[in-house]
Amino acid sequence: MSEEMLEQIVQISDHQEPAIEFRGVSKTYPSGTHALEDVNIRINKGEFVFVVGSSGAGKSTFMKLIMREEKANTGTINVNGFNLTKMRRKHVPLLRRTMGIVFQDFRLIPSMNVFDNVAFAMHVVGESGREVRREVSKALSKVGLGDKARSMPMQLSGGEQQRVGLARALVNAPDLIIADEPTGNVDPNMSYEIVNLLTEINKRGTTILMVTHDHNLVRDFKHRVIMLDSGRIVADNAAGGAE
Amino acid sequence: MKVFNMKLGSIRYLIKEGFKGAWANRLMSLASIGVLVACMVVIGLAILISENVSLAVGTLEKQNVVMVYMKDYNWALYSDAANLPEGKRNGADKNGILKSDYVIHDEEEAKALCKKIEGLDNVDSVEYVSSEQGLETVKGAMIEGQEEYFDFLDDEYGNPISSAAKVTMKEMALFDKTVEEIKTLEGVDVVQSHSDLAAKIDTIKQGIYVAGFWIIAILIIISLVIVSNTIRVTLYNRKLEISIMKAVGATDAFVRIPFVIEGMIIGLISAVISEALIYFCYRVATEKISIMLGQVVPFGELAWFLLLVFVSIGIFSGALGSAFTIGKYLKHEGSEFTAI
Repeated sequence: MSEEMLEQIVQISDHQEPAIEFRGVSKTYPSGTHALEDVNIRINKGEFVFVVGSSGAGKSTFMKLIMREEKANTGTINVNGFNLTKMRRKHVPLLRRTMGIVFQDFRLIPSMNVFDNVAFAMHVVGESGREVRREVSKALSKVGLGDKARSMPMQLSGGEQQRVGLARALVNAPDLIIADEPTGNVDPNMSYEIVNLLTEINKRGTTILMVTHDHNLVRDFKHRVIMLDSGRIVADNAAGGAE
Repeated sequence: MKVFNMKLGSIRYLIKEGFKGAWANRLMSLASIGVLVACMVVIGLAILISENVSLAVGTLEKQNVVMVYMKDYNWALYSDAANLPEGKRNGADKNGILKSDYVIHDEEEAKALCKKIEGLDNVDSVEYVSSEQGLETVKGAMIEGQEEYFDFLDDEYGNPISSAAKVTMKEMALFDKTVEEIKTLEGVDVVQSHSDLAAKIDTIKQGIYVAGFWIIAILIIISLVIVSNTIRVTLYNRKLEISIMKAVGATDAFVRIPFVIEGMIIGLISAVISEALIYFCYRVATEKISIMLGQVVPFGELAWFLLLVFVSIGIFSGALGSAFTIGKYLKHEGSEFTAI
């Protein structure tokens, strides 16, 4: 067997490992709301998945369970090799360091410039100095904001602010990016640009999980689509392109 | 992936964040510094008052000496033994006193009794006072010109003052017990003491200690609450930052440290201001008071101790107050970073 073939096999088998796996997961809040019921899903490493569904379908709970912000009542959840069902609270930061999170409302710190907003994500995981400068510059270049490092968030458009958020999610080289309606607060053109960027990042091997309400994006980008309704997965279209 | 690697750079970053927090929240920081300074100044005053009262009480204690009079020749001379008819007793001297009529025959024996008294647990010091010195003291207490009226005591009738031991005690609380112990010693005639004064001194001392303890304890609790509240405001101002920190995988400790440092900075600044304020207040106050009291504890003697107390209270209340607040926040709200 040639070395090239062996490398391919390694890559394929690596890609087949689950980034996210739900087995019989149900979540009921103390108020009695059944947010998720018997969810079984497997998302492999390197996949790009859209999560769609109407309000109250269970998308937020689905994401919160992945980020271990909530705990499932029943079933098991594995994310990036961590068993979230058994995970202790003090180990949650370890899980979160394997993922980058992009928020709908950008969540940039207004008093920090673009560079510091991205560097902040590295500082809090213990990085400092030269490494931070190098990686932040790289991340900003990736999202096309290399020249805006000294700008303040308020001086940027919505699309640019979201790209800063994306750079912040990228800067710690996560295995998984969770984007919670990242195009919800930007104009349609910028929405495409952001999903393009996420697709580029995905091509380099990062798993992407993106919640969206934008039908056009789901239709035009041919990625896997998971549809939630009343706490259940009602559709899982691996080919993508339609809801 | 690097986890839990607190580098020097990180520590620098966290300290910087602590200072930034205190500055960004400066109005609130200033308010809590004000209240903390007030608490510390009261604590400082409590310490200074307590020290000065202790000094005054100590002076009183020193004055509250016990005179232990001995059964020596002079005692025998003025006791019933001396009234025995002359000539009936073989070997009696011109005053009709036998050696067996008294216990302390010479200075050596008197000093030996002093040693015995000194050996008692609660006795601080013992000073031997000969009968001659005793008489001089009595004469010295007379109004000028009246001393000569007592000259006859030396010449005609002999000195009526017995040898004595001037005793000071360690603990006024054990005063009566010690007096009783002294009385049991052989050769002791009477013990002259002011036990009610000793009891009063003891009550004053205990009162000062108890009041001082409660004042300090209550003010430390107030300091804790004050710092805790300031940090709570900072916390809510920095909710966004905390949510992002949690999202990218900061540990609770990492989130907590800048707030603890902010609390400590507030505490330290308060300590330094309090020390300066106390210094000026005390200087002005003692200038007036020392005229009345005569003696006060110099500030220099307590300066380092006070600074140590203030810094300890500052750091303790700052660190604990903020750690408590942030800990509570992280437990109940801050762990849910998407729900801000």
